Amino acid sequence: MKAGRYERKNKMAKQYEIPVGAQHISLLEPLHFKFTTENEKIVGTTANIYYVHRGIEKACCTKFKFRQVSFVVGRVCGLCSISHTTAYSQVAEKLIKIEIPPRAKYLRMLVVELDRIHSHLLCLSHVAENSGFEALFMKTMQYREAFMELLEAVCGNRVQYDFSIVGGVARDLKQEVARMITERLKYFKPQLDELVDIFQNNWTLGLKNKNAGAISREDAIRLNVVGPFARAAGLAVDVRNESQELLPWKDVGFKIVTETGGDAYSRNLVRLREIYVSMRMIENIINGVPASSLVTETKAFPDGEAVVRIEAPRGELFYYAKGNKTQILERLKIKAPTFSNVSAMVEGFEGNEYGSVPAIIASYDPCLSCTSR
Amino acid sequence: MKRIETTIENVTSDISHFYQPELYHFIVMNAVDLGEKIEVQWFFSDYEEPFEIIAFCAQLTPDVEIPSIRDIVSSAWVAEAELVDLIDIKIENTAKGFVLESDSESGPLRKKK
Repeated sequence: MKAGRYERKNKMAKQYEIPVGAQHISLLEPLHFKFTTENEKIVGTTANIYYVHRGIEKACCTKFKFRQVSFVVGRVCGLCSISHTTAYSQVAEKLIKIEIPPRAKYLRMLVVELDRIHSHLLCLSHVAENSGFEALFMKTMQYREAFMELLEAVCGNRVQYDFSIVGGVARDLKQEVARMITERLKYFKPQLDELVDIFQNNWTLGLKNKNAGAISREDAIRLNVVGPFARAAGLAVDVRNESQELLPWKDVGFKIVTETGGDAYSRNLVRLREIYVSMRMIENIINGVPASSLVTETKAFPDGEAVVRIEAPRGELFYYAKGNKTQILERLKIKAPTFSNVSAMVEGFEGNEYGSVPAIIASYDPCLSCTSR
Repeated sequence: MKRIETTIENVTSDISHFYQPELYHFIVMNAVDLGEKIEVQWFFSDYEEPFEIIAFCAQLTPDVEIPSIRDIVSSAWVAEAELVDLIDIKIENTAKGFVLESDSESGPLRKKK
């Protein structure tokens, strides 16, 4: 699939095609780009995403009962597993027409925000690595590890948590785990300040990331971009800002973060600033989590059709489900955030130097595991 | 979810009258195999009232070619390419081989007869 809006200035210059991926040192995901370059400048890009299609939607509508599907979609992605299980649980709860207990809502938000912090730190570490800043990569990964441990303490697993289930959540938050989270957040705050200082002011990182892979607000609107990619371009879209019906994000202090540059540098800053917001929300959740049961029980079967959107770390995650009053769903559709961003990813390369590709790819934070499913 | 029923003949004009990039966000396309027919859905959200999801829905037989909306919604080619691979429907100017390799089984999300 090709995009080609970059205008050739020198029509005599030779063009070269450079394939990147599906396996490449700067690519962490199995996707393939083919860049057409002219004197090191990218003038055209094609992309293919078909390397990891696993047929999860098909399996969810043929092999598994609707209550088991939350465990299946938790395997769509290792990084935003909780977003998938929460979105699926919400859409299934709409189909069986139940409301979950308030404590379950707060605990879902807690894990979603812990997950967002570890995902953003992973992205930032890859930006550092792809920018040639190995020490910063290791430092960021070390900070991320603390959140992996917290997720394990809350959910019982480092990845693929199976925490949200149809009707509520699978585990309660223990007092000692809540204390552990509060202490870790206090310890992490100066570390995050240090990261912000480096990403904002380091000269080397600035060279690699400023003006790299930039898209304008107009392009973000035109290409329906989502997540930090859109917010870095000044487009204030975040599902947490829009929908309070299923999870009360604003009650726990959600504030939208935007930048205006639209480049890799702005995307890094959006993610860093969002970590502060997530930390504040986690503190508020722990201080305000209501006492109630964890699950709403029902024997109803899914009927009709419903849609749900949730803000995953990479942006809007969309679930469509259709039930037919049986245990097996008629149709389940998953739209991952990276899927919405493919067009902008392809266009964002054009006009950039080929040498900027690794830093740009990392700043896109693509997740092909989600996109191909 | 607000359903807007349309037909394959009218879908591009309906969406072009409705869609304004500053006001609406294109989410994705979807298709549901109903047996004899397939229902294709185009999902949008309203930036001002984002909780309301708007779905244009059209039913068709699998041999009918669906007009592309990429001239109206620039990013729609990704969703169109996905449906061609996974549901095995025909969409104007859309080839197989984006989400699945071109020699993969056709339309894995179609119900088997």
